[in-house]
Amino acid sequence: MKIMLAEDTKDLNRAVCAVLTREGYSVDTAYDGEEALRYIIQDSYDVIILDIMMPKMTGLEVLAEIRRRHILTPVMLLTAKAEIDDRVAGLDAGADDYLPKPFAIKELLARVRAMTRRYTDFSGNKVSYDDINLSSDDLTLSSGNSVRLSIKEFELMHILIMNPDIELTTQYILERVWKTEPEADENTVWLYISYLRAKLAAVGSSVSISGSRGGSFKLVKQPE
Amino acid sequence: MWQGEHTAFAERSGMMETNSIYGDHLPEMKKVMNDIMSRVGDARKAMSERLGMDPVEHCLCRIKSEESMREKCRRRGLPETTESALTKIYDSIGIRIVCAFIDDVYAMVDYLKKFDDVCVAEEKDYIKRAKKNGYRSYHMILKTASGYYVEIQLRTISMDTWAALEHHLKYKKDIKENQDLIADELKRCADELASTDLSMQIIRNMIMGDLT
Repeated sequence: MKIMLAEDTKDLNRAVCAVLTREGYSVDTAYDGEEALRYIIQDSYDVIILDIMMPKMTGLEVLAEIRRRHILTPVMLLTAKAEIDDRVAGLDAGADDYLPKPFAIKELLARVRAMTRRYTDFSGNKVSYDDINLSSDDLTLSSGNSVRLSIKEFELMHILIMNPDIELTTQYILERVWKTEPEADENTVWLYISYLRAKLAAVGSSVSISGSRGGSFKLVKQPE
Repeated sequence: MWQGEHTAFAERSGMMETNSIYGDHLPEMKKVMNDIMSRVGDARKAMSERLGMDPVEHCLCRIKSEESMREKCRRRGLPETTESALTKIYDSIGIRIVCAFIDDVYAMVDYLKKFDDVCVAEEKDYIKRAKKNGYRSYHMILKTASGYYVEIQLRTISMDTWAALEHHLKYKKDIKENQDLIADELKRCADELASTDLSMQIIRNMIMGDLT
C-alpha cells in the first residue's frame, strides 16, 4: 500500500511518515502542493493525504487538479479546526474524508485503513460471498458453474454482496443501481432479483436472495 | 444423418446390409426410435393444447452410421460386434430435443422418464454442471424393456447453436493460430447465452403471470 503524504509542517510530516512506515505502508512525502501534485501525476498511490494550508498550491487546489485529471485515488484532507468551509469545499471537490488538526495518530491510522478498505472493496476485481464469486473483469457470477451477468445484474449482485448483513430496500436499490433511469420502478428491481435468483441456482450456489416484490432484499446462506 | 420427426416414420426402402454391425436389429431399432419420437410428438401436442406453447423447437433422431459405430468400437478398444454396438455403446440410437426455454428442457426430461417400458440407465446434467469448455446439455440414456439403449440429448436453441459452432472448432484442428482465443471466446459466449436463457425464462414466467 502506497501513500502520498503532503504536509508543509516539517515535524508533523516526519512524525506521520514514520508512523505510517512502521505500520507497513510505503510513503512518499511532499512539503508543498506543487511537489505533491508532481508525485501524484507520476506515480500511483492507494491513498493521498493532503494538508489544506500549503505553500505554492493549497490542498484544495491539488485535489481539484487530480480529480480534473480523473485520478480517483481516495484523498484525505488535513484541516485546521476553524476551516469548516474548507472541509465542505474539500468534500464537495472530491475528497473522501477529512481529519481536523490536531488529531490523534490512532485516528489517522484508522481512517487510512477505512479508506483503503473501501478502495479495495470498490476496485478489487473479485468479491465473494459464501460459495459465490463475482468478477468485475468479465461480469461473471460463478460457483460450480459460471454465467455472465448484464451490467445491471452485476451492479445489483455487487451491492447485495457488499451489504451481506443489511436488508436493502427496493428504494435504496433503485437509487443505487438505477439512479440515472427514472423510469425504473419496483417491478424493475423485482425482475432483476428474479434474474439473479435463477442465475444463483444455475451456477449451483446454495446462496439465495430473501424478499418479495417491493420489499427488502438480502443474500441468505442455505443452512447445511 | 440426423432426421426430423416427419421423415423418421417413413420406412427407408433399400437393401438391408447383411454384414451390418447391428446384425438384424435395424428394423427393431428403428421401431424403438420411432416410438420415442412419437412420445415426443404426443408431449408437444398435449403441452401446446394446455399452455398454448409448443415446448419443443425441433427434434431430430438418427441411428449411428455403420462407419462411425465401427470407428467408436475401435476407439474404445471393443471388438466390432453387434454385442459391442448394442450393449457396450449406448448411442446407437440418438435423439436430440431442442427447446426454446430452459424449463421446457426439464419438462421433457421428466416426461420421457415417466414411461414404464423404459428405465434411465444414465443421466448427466451438463446444464447444472457445464463442461469446462462451456458445453451445456442434458444427456440421458434410456434402456427399453426390449433391451435397446437410446441416448437423448436435450437442450435449448442457444445451447444447440453453441454446440454446432463448438463442433466446428473440434474438427478443424488446422486453426492453430487462434485456438486459445476462440476457445476463450466460446466459453464466454456459453456463459452469456446461459444467462440469457435464464432471463428469457424469467420474462416468460412474468408474461404468464407465474412470477411470484
